[in-house]
Amino acid sequence: MKHESNDQTKWLCDKCQRELELAKVKVRYMEGNFEVDLMKCPTCNQVFIGEALAMGKMKEVEEGLEDK
Amino acid sequence: MNLDKLLETGDRCIHKEPPTCTAQCPVHLEIIDFLAEIEKGNFQNAYKLMEKKLPFYNIIGRICDHPCEAPCERSKAGGSIRISDLEKAVLEYGAYKPKKVWPLPKNKGKVAIIGGGLSGLIAAVDLDKKGYIITIYEKNNRLGGRLWDFVGDSLTEELLKQELKTMVDKKIAIHFDATVDQNRLAELLTEYDAVYLGTADWEEPIEANPVTFQVGDSTLFVGGQLLNKSDSVILSASSGRRAAISIERFISQVSLTDSRDREGVFKTPLQFDISSKEPLPAVEKSAGIYSQEEAIAEAKRCVKCQCRKCIEGCVHLRKFEMSPDAYIRQINHNERIILGTHYANKMINSCAECGLCKEECFLDISMNDVIHETRESMMARGKMPASAHDFALKDMAFSNSSRFSLVRQQPSKEESKDLFYYPLISFSDYVKGLYKGTGKTEFLFYPGCQLPASYPDDIKSIYEYLVGHVKGDVGIYLGCCGAPADWAGQQGLMNENIEALKKVWAEMEHPTFILACSSCIRIFEKYLPEIKVESLWDIYVREGLPNNDHIKIPQTLSIHDACGTRENSNLHESVRKIVAKLGYGIEELEYSKEKTKCCGYGGLVYYANREQSDAFVSERIGESEHDLLVYCAMCKDLFVSGGKRTYHLLDLIYPKDNGEPATRIMPTLSERHQNRSRVKQILLKEIWREEPMETVMEDNFTLIIPEDVQQKIEDRYILMEDIQAVLKNAEAKNERFCNPDTGEYLAKLRRDNVTFWVKYEKEEESFLIKSVYSHRMEILEEDGNSGGTK
Repeated sequence: MKHESNDQTKWLCDKCQRELELAKVKVRYMEGNFEVDLMKCPTCNQVFIGEALAMGKMKEVEEGLEDK
Repeated sequence: MNLDKLLETGDRCIHKEPPTCTAQCPVHLEIIDFLAEIEKGNFQNAYKLMEKKLPFYNIIGRICDHPCEAPCERSKAGGSIRISDLEKAVLEYGAYKPKKVWPLPKNKGKVAIIGGGLSGLIAAVDLDKKGYIITIYEKNNRLGGRLWDFVGDSLTEELLKQELKTMVDKKIAIHFDATVDQNRLAELLTEYDAVYLGTADWEEPIEANPVTFQVGDSTLFVGGQLLNKSDSVILSASSGRRAAISIERFISQVSLTDSRDREGVFKTPLQFDISSKEPLPAVEKSAGIYSQEEAIAEAKRCVKCQCRKCIEGCVHLRKFEMSPDAYIRQINHNERIILGTHYANKMINSCAECGLCKEECFLDISMNDVIHETRESMMARGKMPASAHDFALKDMAFSNSSRFSLVRQQPSKEESKDLFYYPLISFSDYVKGLYKGTGKTEFLFYPGCQLPASYPDDIKSIYEYLVGHVKGDVGIYLGCCGAPADWAGQQGLMNENIEALKKVWAEMEHPTFILACSSCIRIFEKYLPEIKVESLWDIYVREGLPNNDHIKIPQTLSIHDACGTRENSNLHESVRKIVAKLGYGIEELEYSKEKTKCCGYGGLVYYANREQSDAFVSERIGESEHDLLVYCAMCKDLFVSGGKRTYHLLDLIYPKDNGEPATRIMPTLSERHQNRSRVKQILLKEIWREEPMETVMEDNFTLIIPEDVQQKIEDRYILMEDIQAVLKNAEAKNERFCNPDTGEYLAKLRRDNVTFWVKYEKEEESFLIKSVYSHRMEILEEDGNSGGTK
């Protein structure tokens, strides 16, 4: 699952008012645990998932894991 | 899941079985392929098929006694395909120079062939090709035997000589004028590894094994007329070839009998229904041989017998290009696989479990049962993809929660006494029904979950009608029968649900359930046979319809029967009686009653594979020019969403003034929840005159939702309450992202096993929703939380 950086740079964390940074983030689904590069707030750590990523690659990986 | 039993079921499927023409051909020419090549004008390809299966095809193709023709299915619709004439045409138009075959070294053994007639020549050629040293003993001074009797227009003397010469070309040893008698045979049997006896006559009767053609356990094998006791040329040819197979197995010391059950003529298990085909007479020859055009036209009459009845009726099988035998092999693989991808999951979850396949099958093979059992097995092994049925199961949980579920006895006489005054009591059947109340619940109206979601305004009217018309007190029970759990293969959940239903039934002292939903009817039949049920539609027929002036514009309707009622012919009749009574004409669909199709909701395919569900919808709505009449809420909603004018029976029984019912679009997923809750509120307030206990989910924020976003919300199975929860969390905790350029916010919240995202803009007091999406994958943020509230 690869991070897609189309228009995400202009989003800020609203709570911390900080720009997002690319960082290694742990994700989990069923028995699958991975580390992927995603945009997140360097202060509060909230992770940004864009629509294209959620409905594209992420869904594909979910379905792949469900069929394992 | 018993996979051996599963594979046995797959083996029973006759889809892959050969047509009767090929089974009746002793050498099994692939006649459908052969005709298909001719149909395309590919005479050379057809020729190659003759070359592959027919020994001495240049001779046999001209003189074959064609046992394939008489049993041809086309004989019932215009006359058998003239396969024999087509073979002659192919020899004429498709011949090409044969490729040079390099002979094998002759080191496998010595075989004597007695009799240089057709069967002997074939045994000789087949064994020679495999590397045996062959010697032919012929009593005359030329090869061919009775083949010479066939010399005429078709098989010329020149052609026969040319074909026989190939024996010499192969350097096969031939002894002419060599009479073989009993004594000589005894000698040959000692000199050779095996002997083939293919003479027309013999001094004494010989008994050979009917499968191997071996005489006792000797080295002697028999074929031709002597064995067949028939003049058939093709039978002779086949026996020579089969004897050669036995001889090779014998000399190689392998089993003579293994896997030979379909050699020669056999009865194919294939059954084919030609009744739907237009009769077409055979194409007549304008000369001795078909012209190419005539041959093509004749070949086109072939109906390519193959059992496809279930496939023709089922858009699911067609979409995945599956016959039951192939489907079952895929399930078998999917079930056995331990490491790797379960590629068949999506397919298995795309079946509507409607049961039409079994109705159509000559052998009652039910892919519905097979697939259902597979889903239960997937579920039990933890291999069912969670996303496939999650929404439907949550919807079921909603319906069985306090937000919808309700059980009440009929309001007692005591509670209703304020209604018992003139003229109400003389004009209202409902009030009369209440007045006759006994306190003993004879009936329990169980409208199911989808009917109240689609027809929230009619449930009270139906209840009042029932109280006023059926004999005995009528209670109400709101909830979900468990059909989603059943379709999802969730046996545990299903059993829990059934136990809950049984408990209510027992507490109410075993009333008869009045059902209005076809899925409920199916579930009650399957899981609750001890509960007596009646369909609402049967009651309307028995007790009379509630209103008199229903019809607005008389018209003809096509009735789409609900697949859950497939076996319920009484119910089909009741529906038709109601439609006729209401003044509408009926034109039956080709697939109706016990052969009805699924609308595209069944088996939860609507949730598991929307594209497949759409295919069910579009096929079904294309089957009638008339408006459709349905009696299942989901059928109605799906057909209307597919663009078809469709009435639900309730649209006609309880007509309303607000717009055209045939085009009324389905409530959204969120509206379905709200409608159910509203039904409960209405009933409690207006029938039982109770103040509802439960507070309805309040919509905290005013939302503005553009149409395209509304469509996304539906397609992505997101509820308004999910959106509200995301917004509430974002607004309260500022847990969101902002885009200074556009002024948009993006907020998320994990609810249960799904993370929901909402992109929005704030417009004074309201929220403009720009997009919504979700994912099931969990993001583990560094402080250990996953962005959720639970």
